[in-house]
Amino acid sequence: MASIDRQRLSSGRDVHLSGNVITPGTVRLEYKRFNAFHRWMHFFTMVSFTVLVFTGMPLKYKTNVLAKFSMDLIGGPQSASILHRLAALVTVFYFVCELGYLAWYVLKRKGPLWGPGTITPGKKDWEDIKAMFRWFLGKGPYPEFDRFTYWEKFDFWSLAAGTVIIGTTGFMMWFPVETTKLLPGIFLNIALVIHSSEALLAVGVIFLFVHFFSAHLKPGTFPMDKVIFEGSLPVDHYAEERPREYQRRVAEGSLEQVLVQPWEGAKGAVAKVIWWAITIIALFGAFAFGVFLVWVTLQWIGVI
Amino acid sequence: MSRLWRYVGWGVVLALTGLATWFVFSPVALAQTGSQNGTQNASCLACHAKPSLGTVTVNGVTKSLTIDQAHWNASVHSLLDCTSCHVGFTAGQHSAAETQGWYRMAMFTACSNCHANDATAFAGSIHGKLLASGNTRAPMCGSCHGSHAIMNVSTPAFRSSILPMCEQCHGGHAQTYLDTYHGQAFVLGNERTAVCTDCHGAHNILPASDPASTISAQHVVATCAKCHAGANSNFASYKVHVDPSSPHSSIWVWFFWIAYVMLISVVFTFGGVHSFLYFYRGRKEGMYRRGKH
Repeated sequence: MASIDRQRLSSGRDVHLSGNVITPGTVRLEYKRFNAFHRWMHFFTMVSFTVLVFTGMPLKYKTNVLAKFSMDLIGGPQSASILHRLAALVTVFYFVCELGYLAWYVLKRKGPLWGPGTITPGKKDWEDIKAMFRWFLGKGPYPEFDRFTYWEKFDFWSLAAGTVIIGTTGFMMWFPVETTKLLPGIFLNIALVIHSSEALLAVGVIFLFVHFFSAHLKPGTFPMDKVIFEGSLPVDHYAEERPREYQRRVAEGSLEQVLVQPWEGAKGAVAKVIWWAITIIALFGAFAFGVFLVWVTLQWIGVI
Repeated sequence: MSRLWRYVGWGVVLALTGLATWFVFSPVALAQTGSQNGTQNASCLACHAKPSLGTVTVNGVTKSLTIDQAHWNASVHSLLDCTSCHVGFTAGQHSAAETQGWYRMAMFTACSNCHANDATAFAGSIHGKLLASGNTRAPMCGSCHGSHAIMNVSTPAFRSSILPMCEQCHGGHAQTYLDTYHGQAFVLGNERTAVCTDCHGAHNILPASDPASTISAQHVVATCAKCHAGANSNFASYKVHVDPSSPHSSIWVWFFWIAYVMLISVVFTFGGVHSFLYFYRGRKEGMYRRGKH
C-alpha cells in the first residue's frame, strides 16, 4: 500500500493536509470515502440484486437459450422462486436499514439534506452534465466533482425509486390473494408489466450504463474501483477525483476527520481472488447485457 | 439355531409365493397376456410395420399407414388389440366397406366404448358441439390425445404436451398465457404451474359466457381457488390473456407498458451516448493508462 502511495505521490504532486505539505513517502493515511454501514449496504445490495436478476430475468426472456440454461443451473423455476423471494427479503432488510440511517442522519447527526457534498441532486449537477458534454467534445476541462458525481446520484436514486416500485409490485404478486382483497385483478396485470419493465431498466442502469460504467468500465477506473469494498483510497487520488470535496474539507479544516489507516481486511492472494472474481462477474455481466441488448433491439426492429 | 433356520426357510417360501402371486396378477403379467392377444396385432403389423406402405389422406390430413412400434409400445393402449379402435377391420386387404369412416371411428367413436364419461362430457363441450355441427376443423379425441402414441394423462410428459396441442388452434391465447407467470414458469420447466386445462377444463371446455363453464362468472372463483385458496371475485378478474403491447387488450396495462418502453429507451439511449463519449474522450486523453478520474 505504501509503495503505491509513494509511486503516486512521486508523480510530482504535493498533498495538502490541513495546510501541511506532506512529502512523498511520509503518508500512509487514506481518505475515508465510505463507512462500514455504506459498505455493508452495498454488499447486501450487490448480492441480492444479482440473485434477483438471475432468478427473475429468465422468466421475462423465457424463450432465450440462456434462460433455460440458467434456470436449469439453479434448479428450475421452483427453486428460482424461493431464491427470488429470499433475495427480496434481503432487499427489504437493506431498504429498512437505509431508512433507519436516514433517520439517524437527520435526527441525531443533523447532517445537511441538500447542498455541496450531499447525494441530493442540485444545480451543480446540471452544470456538471453540461461541462461533461463540453469535455466530451474537447471544448472544456473535466468538471470538478464534489463527493458524488451526477451519475452516482442517478445510480443511487434510480435504485432507491426502483426498489420501491419493484418491491411494491413484487409483493403484490407474492401475495395475490391478499392484494385482490383490496384491489381489482387488473392491478396484478399492471404489477407484472411494471415489475418486469422496471427490472429491465434496473439491469440496464446497474449492469451497464451507470453503475458498472462508473465502477468498472470507464476510463481511469477500469477494471475496478475497490473503494466501496475497502472504504478508503489514497488521498491524492481522491483529491484529483473529487476536488470540490477535498478543497472544502481543506478550507474547513475537517480533512483529518476522514483520514484513516488503509483497510487491512483483504490482502494478498485471497484479496486478489475476491477482486478478480467480482471484476470478472461484473465485466461478464456488462458484456452479456450489452450483447443481449443489441440482439433484442435488432429483433424488435425486425433486422433479425 | 436349527429353529431359526426353519423360520427363515418358511419365510423364503412365503415370500416367493407372494412374489409369484403378485407377478401373476400384476400389470407385468397382464402384459404377458396382452402379448398373446397381440398375436392378432402381429398379423396387422405384418403389413403395417413396413415403411413402404405409403400414406392415406383423410379430411385433408395425410396419415402414414406405417405404425411406429416404439411409439405404440410406449402408449397406454399398447395392450389393446388394433381392432379395439379400428372396429370391424379384418386381416388381409381391407374392403372399401370396412374402411368407410375408419378415421372418425378410430379418432373418436371407438373411444367411448371404454371412456363413456369423458365422451359424454366432450359431447356437451364447445368442441363436441362443433364436431356435431359437422365442422371439419373440430377436434376429436385423437386431436388432443394422439392416436397410436396415447400417453397416460397423469404424467408430466402429457402435461407438457397440453399447451402445444391447444396452440394448434388457439395460438394467440397461448402467446398471452406464456406472458403470465404461469406460462413463464411452465416453459422453463415448472410442471405444477397452471396450464390451459387447469382453468378451462379438458373434456368439458365451454366459453366463459356459458354458465356451466369452469371460467363462467358463476364458477371462475372456484376454479382459481383450486390452487389459490381464499381467491375472491377481484382475484378472478385478473386477465390471463392480455397483450400488453396492444391498447385494445387492456388500456391500462398498455399504458404502463408503453410508458416503460419510452422510459427505458430514453435512459438507455442517453446512457449509451454518455458512455460512448466518455470512452472516446477518455481514451484520447490517455485516462486508461493514467488511472485517474
